[in-house]
Amino acid sequence: MREKVITTQTIADPKTSYGDGKAASRHFIAQRWTGAVNVLLVGFLVWMVVRLAGADRAEMISVVGNPIAGIILAVLLVVALVHMRIGMVEIVEDYVQDPRTNRLSLMLNTLFCLGVGLIGVIAILKLVIWG
Amino acid sequence: MAMSIFHRATGIALYAGTLLLVIWLAAAAIGEGAFASVNALYGSWFGQLVLFGYTWALFHHMLGGLRHFLWDNIIGMEPGEREKLAWANLIVSIVLTLLVWLIFVWVG
Repeated sequence: MREKVITTQTIADPKTSYGDGKAASRHFIAQRWTGAVNVLLVGFLVWMVVRLAGADRAEMISVVGNPIAGIILAVLLVVALVHMRIGMVEIVEDYVQDPRTNRLSLMLNTLFCLGVGLIGVIAILKLVIWG
Repeated sequence: MAMSIFHRATGIALYAGTLLLVIWLAAAAIGEGAFASVNALYGSWFGQLVLFGYTWALFHHMLGGLRHFLWDNIIGMEPGEREKLAWANLIVSIVLTLLVWLIFVWVG
């Protein structure tokens, strides 16, 4: 796998498996601010989950259905998803060398995070608006 | 050194674990029956075991992230300090996990 000479152009080309040169700095910075937001909101998540452990649906709606709690939860979910997408991009860049598998993994990663985010945000919106 | 791979492993665990949160929210949005099934699953001994592991992964990854913030500011990079931070990370994550479960689940 190492016969090819790796130049700066190779690394900067997002079509190779050496990472996306243009996105790397953005990812580095985004990983830090999303991480900081997650640290701030982790208390809220633990409080909410513990408060609602084993609760019935009406009680759950009384907590998550509150617009402020709903918005915080949605923000937490989206920020966490951005964070975990970048984290998985780093893992794929480190371990998945074959360019095609690499691109496929990155695409599946983005789809997974988008899908989970869409389902989560729609579920929260439904609980806030209709109960 | 082992802590680096722990940070990555807990990150992957949390990646999968986000599904648990979204399944819970989606079940509540769908209705009474779906929510009761998910509650029963999460309340079972296996569900509780997974959630306990999830709590630990969350705290461990959070503390690991805070450690990265320290390193970003060139703090705690010396040989002795790194090992101390690694042990602190592990011990505090276990203590926080036990505290949350002790106070809110086993006692409360």
